Amino acid sequence: MTMLSLVERERYLRQIPLLGETGQERLRDAAVLVAGAGGLGSVCAQMCACAGFGKIRIVDNDVVERHNLNRQVLYAARDHGLFKVDVAARRLRENNPWLSVEPVRETITRESIGGLVCGIDVIIDGMDNYDARYILDDAAFGEDLPFIHGAVNGFYGQVSSIIPGETPCLHCIVPHPPPPGDVPILGVTVGTIGSIQVAEAIKLVTGLGKPMAGRMLLWDGLMGEAEVIPVARDPSCTRCNGRGVAP
Amino acid sequence: MKVRVKSFAILRQFLPRETEVEIRDGSSVRDLLDLLVKQAPPLANELLNEKGELKDFVNILRNGRNIHFISGLDTPLSEGDLVALFPPAGGG
Repeated sequence: MTMLSLVERERYLRQIPLLGETGQERLRDAAVLVAGAGGLGSVCAQMCACAGFGKIRIVDNDVVERHNLNRQVLYAARDHGLFKVDVAARRLRENNPWLSVEPVRETITRESIGGLVCGIDVIIDGMDNYDARYILDDAAFGEDLPFIHGAVNGFYGQVSSIIPGETPCLHCIVPHPPPPGDVPILGVTVGTIGSIQVAEAIKLVTGLGKPMAGRMLLWDGLMGEAEVIPVARDPSCTRCNGRGVAP
Repeated sequence: MKVRVKSFAILRQFLPRETEVEIRDGSSVRDLLDLLVKQAPPLANELLNEKGELKDFVNILRNGRNIHFISGLDTPLSEGDLVALFPPAGGG
């Protein structure tokens, strides 16, 4: 691990007291997969770039549309019709010139996931559907990678850190997904949930604090309240293959 | 006996965030839901499908464990149990 340069120390002046130089170096040496470049993905990628993750691979196959702009903070009105990951890569590099950004115009499938997680240290959930989330979850358990689940609906959101060998998998936590389809979303909700997801990623990479493992945070923006509930493994779950936390 | 019920997300439009419910001994989660729906009829649309069965994506945790992995709606309740009802968020 090489030391931080003087310019890097200046950039991270206000957070090195929290993370330590070693923690900052660990972030710089870490690669994160931001799966999705929508509401959650925008916030997560932006926060990862600000915090100083060394590499962000961001995956999405959509173009920027006008109705994205209420919550997808990486995009501006002028980006209409451009591929999200291309705009995202430009914006993230503008924020952090040390960052290596790898934009990938792909849909997450059982076929594509192997290449997408190759060389990655943390998977962050920015998806809008459970079919893709379950693919990420299976890859996390297959490759022994932490998977930081987040999802939103209106003023509500949820976060849980899924860690193979320590926690239940997403299939255990959400055995039956809600019906697919567009849900109402506010920018402030993805801002809240995405930021908590990246806080989890920072903690996991630096070793600080206590990850939200085996627990799920349920955010209620209407009440201004969060509650953390325990989540347990399905004893018969074949997906985490006995590697989740003991029931 | 008494059990505590916590609700989350959209269910909070119909149920208090946390409430204590008096229910007869030996009741199951199904009995509890029947009681809750009687008290707040619009809750039925959120919890039950057109056949009156629990919508499978509504997670119900008894003391932190999903009833899907215990005995579903037949999961028995005991004095002091905490039942949490949360429909997972899906958007991103």
